[in-house]
Amino acid sequence: MSIRLFDVEKAFGNVQILRRLTLTIHDGETVSIIGGSGSGKSTALKHMVGLLRPDDGEVYVDEQNVSRLDQESLYELRRNVGYVFQFAALFDSMTIAQNVGMGLKRIPDMSDEAIDERVAECLRMVDLDGTEEKLPAQLSGGQRKRAGFARAIATRPKYMLYDEPTTGLDPVTTAVIDELIVRMSDELGVTGVVITHDMKSAFRISDRIAMLYDGRIRFDGTPDELRACEDPLVRGFVEGRPELMEQVR
Amino acid sequence: MLHPVRAVGRRTLRIVGAVGRAGYLAVDAARALRKGSLWAPHLLGQMAKIGVESVPIALFVALFTGVVLALQADYTFTGAVPLYFVGTLVGKTMLLELGPVLTGLALSGRVGANIAAEIGAMRVTEQIDALETLAYDPVAYLVVPRVIAGVIMFPVVVILADALGIAAGLGTAIVRLDMSSFEFLKGLRLFFVPWDVWFSVIKSATFGLTVTSVGCFFGFHTTGGAEGVGRTTTRAVVVSTMIILALDAFWAATLLR
Repeated sequence: MSIRLFDVEKAFGNVQILRRLTLTIHDGETVSIIGGSGSGKSTALKHMVGLLRPDDGEVYVDEQNVSRLDQESLYELRRNVGYVFQFAALFDSMTIAQNVGMGLKRIPDMSDEAIDERVAECLRMVDLDGTEEKLPAQLSGGQRKRAGFARAIATRPKYMLYDEPTTGLDPVTTAVIDELIVRMSDELGVTGVVITHDMKSAFRISDRIAMLYDGRIRFDGTPDELRACEDPLVRGFVEGRPELMEQVR
Repeated sequence: MLHPVRAVGRRTLRIVGAVGRAGYLAVDAARALRKGSLWAPHLLGQMAKIGVESVPIALFVALFTGVVLALQADYTFTGAVPLYFVGTLVGKTMLLELGPVLTGLALSGRVGANIAAEIGAMRVTEQIDALETLAYDPVAYLVVPRVIAGVIMFPVVVILADALGIAAGLGTAIVRLDMSSFEFLKGLRLFFVPWDVWFSVIKSATFGLTVTSVGCFFGFHTTGGAEGVGRTTTRAVVVSTMIILALDAFWAATLLR
C-alpha cells in the first residue's frame, strides 16, 4: 500500500502547475511536501484523493489508479483517506459533532450510539471536548482546524493528507497538531502526506521531506539529508534566504 | 483589428464550455437520483425553504397584480365591453401569464440567488471538496434535493398566487368598479377551462427546475472568493430570468393551441 504519482501534469488554463511530477509515499511513512506558494503542493495533494484529475500521468493509491476509477470506486477509496483542509472546511450549518460524524454516517451498520462515541473520542484527542453542540462560527481559528482534524481521523483512515495543518496556529497548538500527526503514524501506522511551510514542523514530524519547485520535485530525502543539502534553491527555502534562491533563478 | 474577433471567439468558447458543464451536471444529477439515502433526508427541509418561505413574497406580488389587472381592465373596456369581462381578463391573465411568470421572476431573485450564494460559498471554502473526501456525492447531497423541491414547490406557490391574484381582482371589482361578485364570477367562468390551471402548473414546474438548477450550476462553478460568490449570484439571477422569459414564450407557442 502506497501513494504514487507518476509523471503527473496539470495545468489550469494556460498556467502549468505540475510538470512530470513523480513522487512515491511508502506505507507507514509521513512525508512532508514543502515549497513556495504556487509551486503545486496543494494541487498534488488533491490528485491523491481524486479531487483533481491529471492532464497526463498516473496517480496510484492502494495500487488503484485514482484517475481512472469510476465514481463509486473513488468514494470507496476515499473511505480510507482522511483529508485535513487548510481552512478546516467545516460545514457552517452543522454543529461540531455533526461535522465530525459526517464521514461515520457513510459507514454501513454503524449505529448512532457508536457514532456519538467515536465523535466524543476524536474531539477528546484534539482537546475539543465540550464543543459538540457549538457551530463552527463559535470556535476560534485554531479550534476549527482541530475540529477539521477530528473529522478527518474519525473514520480511522489508512492515509492522512494534511493541507497546511499548522498554518496560522500558535506555537502550542502547532505542537499539539504535530504530536497528533506523529501519533497517527507511530501508533496507528497511518501513511501521511503533509503540505507545510513550517520547517520546524516538517523536521519534527517527517520521515521524508520533498521539495516542490516549479511543478517538479527539487529535493526528496530524510530531514537529515535536507539539512545537509547544498542546493542553493533548497537551502534558500529552508533557511528563508531568498538571496540564495536568486542565484539559481 | 483582430481584437473584436478574438473577443467574440473567447466569449463563444466560454458559452460553449458553460453549456458543456451544465450538461455534465444534468447527467450527474440524473444519476444521483438513485442515491436516495443522500438526498431524501434533505428534501422536506428544502421544500420548506424554497416553497413555504417564498409564499409571502409570492402573495405580495400576486395581491397587487390582481388589483392592477382589475383596474386596468375597467380602464381599457371603457363601457364598450361588458364589465363582467373584468373577471375573464383577471382570471385568464393570472392563470396563464402573470401568476407563473411574476412568481417565477420573484423567486429567481429569492431562491436562485440564495442557492447560488450558498453553494458558491461552500465551493470557495472547500466544503464541497470536504463532502467529496467524506465519500458524499455533492450532486446528490446538494443539487438533487434543491431541484426536486423547486419542481414540487414552485407550482404550489404559483397556485396560491393565482388564487390570491384572482381574489384581489374580485375584491377590487366589488369595491372600486361597482361590480357584484356574481358578475365577476360570471366573467371568470365564461372562458375558464381546467387546462388553464394545468398550464400554470406545468409552466411553474419548469420555472422551478430552471431557477434551482441554474442556481446550483453557478454555485457549483464558483471561483474567486467572496467576489466570485457575488458574481455567480448575479449571473444565476440574470440567466434564470432570461430562461424563464424564453420558456414562457415556448410554452405559450406549444401548449396554447
